[in-house]
Amino acid sequence: MSIDSYRFLDFATRQIMKAWAARQEQGVIPFTPLAKPLRECTVALVSTAGVARHDDQPFDQERERRDPWWGDPSFRAIPLGTSERDVRLYHLHIDPRFGEADLDVVLPMRRLAELAAEGAVGCPAPTHYSVMGYILEPQELVEKTAPAIAERMRAERVDAAALVPA
Amino acid sequence: MGLVQRVLEASGIPTVTLSMIPDLTRAVGVPRLAGISYPMSRPLGRPHDADGQRAVLRATLEVLASATGPDCFVELPFEWPESPAVARNASKGLPPPPIVDLLQKKPWLLARLYSGRVPGRDGPV
Repeated sequence: MSIDSYRFLDFATRQIMKAWAARQEQGVIPFTPLAKPLRECTVALVSTAGVARHDDQPFDQERERRDPWWGDPSFRAIPLGTSERDVRLYHLHIDPRFGEADLDVVLPMRRLAELAAEGAVGCPAPTHYSVMGYILEPQELVEKTAPAIAERMRAERVDAAALVPA
Repeated sequence: MGLVQRVLEASGIPTVTLSMIPDLTRAVGVPRLAGISYPMSRPLGRPHDADGQRAVLRATLEVLASATGPDCFVELPFEWPESPAVARNASKGLPPPPIVDLLQKKPWLLARLYSGRVPGRDGPV
């Protein structure tokens, strides 16, 4: 591949990411073909920036500070129309200031609406989602959180999803 | 994120991930991946650069339609306008993540972080 995945990382982070990549196994990769053209699809977004609305429960930073091996495995629903004025970014491993200055940097709901307006995609889903990156123990994330997001997407007739690690 | 993507895809929702570390995301085994050489915390681009962000999102979503099978990987052609040193410097002064604080006090735990084994609990990452 010509993209250097580690170009922007500091030395220590680079070594850890490389070690983690080397330990992963692809296994059987699921694949669901797109059922209709993109211009007819309802699309939902998922960010790992730990985005939560001011009127929702924050991601649990205190427990991570007490136990740095732990990361909050829950998710937050982010209704379409939510802007940077309505949220905070709780991920302790990223610089939250960029997404808090402009939410579209991590959760591009306005850009998605613009692409829908020009006909490139069908429409934005009514609800988008955020989880936290840095979950060393992903059991709850995989067994509880992700299925709950999937169920809600199906209920809102989402045809495709774009995931954006931060 | 790759793990969440796999669950959504397996439940019948076509997915694509926009990753700044495509090497790591791809290693997890994902159906569709758009790799981008952008710094952490800014996957879509710079704040208030609506045109740039829209171009990245458009290119990412196009992978949903162009993929014909799993492990589809597309390298997006976008270039970050700053050097890695300048991009990292923009985040200087932030408090370090709790794990970094801990490892400064107990550097021997670094091997644990490398291996993904969480102290006092069982099972790999």
